[in-house]
Amino acid sequence: MSLYDDPFLAISNSITNQYIEEWKNNNEKVIGHYCTYLPEELFHAAGLLPFRIRATNHKEDDLADTYMVRFTCSFVRATLDLALRGGYDFLDGLFISNCCDHARRMYEIFDLKVFSRQEFTQKPPRFYTAVPHVITKEGFEWYKKEVEELKVELEETYRVKITNEALKNSIGVYNENRRLLRELHKLRCLDTPKLSGSEFLQISMANSSVPKEIANRELKRILKKLENSEGKSIKNKKRIMLVGSVVDNINYTNLIEEAGSYIVTDLLCFGNRNILDDVDLASDGESLEEISKRVYYRMSCPRMMDDHSKRLDYLKEQVKIAKVDGIILERINNCDLHGCDNMLFEHEFKESGVPVFSMDRESYQTDTSRLQTRIEAFLEMIK
Amino acid sequence: MVIKQELENRVIPLKILLEALETTYGLITNILPPDEVPELEIGVKYIKKIVAEMIEGANEGLPIVGHHFAFQAEYLSCFDIVPVCIEGISYILSCIFPHGVERFNDIISDGFGHPYHTCSSQKSCMGMTLDDLFRFDAIITPTAPCDNTYASYPFFKYKENIPLILPDLPFLHQEKSLHYYGDQIKIALNDLGKVIGQEPDFETMKKHIEIENKVNRHALEIFELKKARPNPVSNLFNAFAAAASIYLAGRNEHLKFYEENLEIAKRRYKRRGRHGEDESEEKMRSIWPYMLIFFSLETLEWLDRSVGMSVLFDIFNYNFSPHIDVKNEEKMWYDMANKGMSFPMMKQSTDFYYPFIEDCVRLAKEYNADNFVFTAHIGCKQFGSVPQILKEALREELGIPMLIIDLDVGDERLTNINIIRDKINIFTQTLM
Repeated sequence: MSLYDDPFLAISNSITNQYIEEWKNNNEKVIGHYCTYLPEELFHAAGLLPFRIRATNHKEDDLADTYMVRFTCSFVRATLDLALRGGYDFLDGLFISNCCDHARRMYEIFDLKVFSRQEFTQKPPRFYTAVPHVITKEGFEWYKKEVEELKVELEETYRVKITNEALKNSIGVYNENRRLLRELHKLRCLDTPKLSGSEFLQISMANSSVPKEIANRELKRILKKLENSEGKSIKNKKRIMLVGSVVDNINYTNLIEEAGSYIVTDLLCFGNRNILDDVDLASDGESLEEISKRVYYRMSCPRMMDDHSKRLDYLKEQVKIAKVDGIILERINNCDLHGCDNMLFEHEFKESGVPVFSMDRESYQTDTSRLQTRIEAFLEMIK
Repeated sequence: MVIKQELENRVIPLKILLEALETTYGLITNILPPDEVPELEIGVKYIKKIVAEMIEGANEGLPIVGHHFAFQAEYLSCFDIVPVCIEGISYILSCIFPHGVERFNDIISDGFGHPYHTCSSQKSCMGMTLDDLFRFDAIITPTAPCDNTYASYPFFKYKENIPLILPDLPFLHQEKSLHYYGDQIKIALNDLGKVIGQEPDFETMKKHIEIENKVNRHALEIFELKKARPNPVSNLFNAFAAAASIYLAGRNEHLKFYEENLEIAKRRYKRRGRHGEDESEEKMRSIWPYMLIFFSLETLEWLDRSVGMSVLFDIFNYNFSPHIDVKNEEKMWYDMANKGMSFPMMKQSTDFYYPFIEDCVRLAKEYNADNFVFTAHIGCKQFGSVPQILKEALREELGIPMLIIDLDVGDERLTNINIIRDKINIFTQTLM
């Protein structure tokens, strides 16, 4: 069964969608964000819709090239280009953290170049939290305070009261959302996967672009549809784990899967990384503190300097669970964080005998033949 | 003897550096006319002395501790160690070797998979470590200023099994940040002590910090002299001031370095002279708000002598350390954090762009700069979106132009120096 025509997955092909339009028609606010290091439940409890900024299918970057030198990430450049062309005029605010050097500077560039355009009658508010780069007790205390201050800022800016009840409700909605995504993920790990890596990516992108209540409803519908379906035939296809920089376009995952593989698992930020950990509702702690704990202690990305071992352990575990035949480590050019993390993974997996292939790419894929040849060669190499 | 050799072999790049510095010093003192390039002579003299002492320390078996340039070397003086600045060694060798440190960059890039776009300041030292030329007992780095730091340093821990101490530096300039980072420095020094088996001696550290307080006063005096027309300070001074802030930090030699350079600047100021062949002519005054071109320091001389361009300062020469009050211990950690967060590049990287742009505009006014040259270094993604907005701010507020050069400041292969000089020549012709 293919989910190709599913209306929920189709949401991932564009930036805005009918649910955003409905949300805006009700005079409700949308907050753009780049990274998953944010307390989404807090925004939800404030009645705001967090929207993960991406540039799916956007092919241009010449406007952004004026403001970002050629050594910067083509994903962030594409999002800026899209924003400069009006693609993000529906935003009512922007949240930035110091996730990576490329994305965090959008705090200033959106202020100076995007929100100053005449399409905005007044500049939307921007929010920033500083996330520590190490995982320590002191670091958590710092981050917890940052989130507390963010709560006050949101309350003052949007004149709302974020109650503990509202936070608990939002935690419930988001935990449910992550649980549903994990269920879907399990279906692609099966011996005969029920959905492809590209389909999972589309679901994840759509999920980050609509209100979570709608997403949960749609995810349940898709789960039900898939549970009753037969698995995909993967005869002669290799089971691949995809790891690295942000992927917001199925052109890339299709390239891998059409070369003779299934992406049965991943460690990507539009993939598994952000759905593995839940907020502990059973704990006696304050809701806000529990939300902060999830964000801070969750499966990290390479921005967390001292957590490579945890990421490696997760990958090793996934190799077993998803019966992975080979690993593709990808990085968008100029992404130092994933580039160096991948460098370590490559040697660690080579030592343990797992086939591994490291590749660089641009955010929007144009040199497909070159990549296809390299991917096919890697897949053929796997016994 | 065998043991001494073995101990020395933990710091082979320092031995290479010392030989290069001694040769260079010999050429300066024996071949160049007296007082021809005095800043060069002063800089090489003191750095050579300290590098020799570092090797001596290695011979004695002291622990070899690597540190980020942004973790101030004088803070490490609470230990009996050989401090090796990871970025400092990469770039000083890039300056001094005819073919730079390309060999070491290739060892870690081509040989191990370190991305080509990740900063050469760490790349070279990683290559040296992978090649067993450095044997660190521990490494300490703040979690700043850039992606390259968080990306590259884990190599030392996860590949080389070197204990990595990580004082967390917040990307936010507020009062609470200074308290947090002050605590982090203290925790980190105690942790480092446990790793190398030494108790930190904070009384000794205070003495070295006090030297830096004095150095800062001299640095400000030189900075003030640069307002004069012509600028009495040579371009080369900027490069050596950066190197001195790493190699000489917390030492009396740092003080002497500044005293001697200040004397030269004052003499030139009195006779309204400047460094170079034609002392009377300063054709243009330029601010390089980011880094100098480390792989080609001779370009600074070329700018002074052939182009007539005074490089008033680069990023390592317009950020001054706040005074550290060592008499009040609680305040001391706070002040140390303040210094750490105000340090060149740390200040700009961990804050928003707005104060950086304001600083540039203010400095251009105060120092009568008539142009800017921005070296967009391949490693520095944290500055990847500032050049154009700075260029616009300078044009709109002051009407002065800025040249942007894409390059790797530590590896000449990305942009050849001849291309860079051509760009500068064309740019300066439009200004004349």
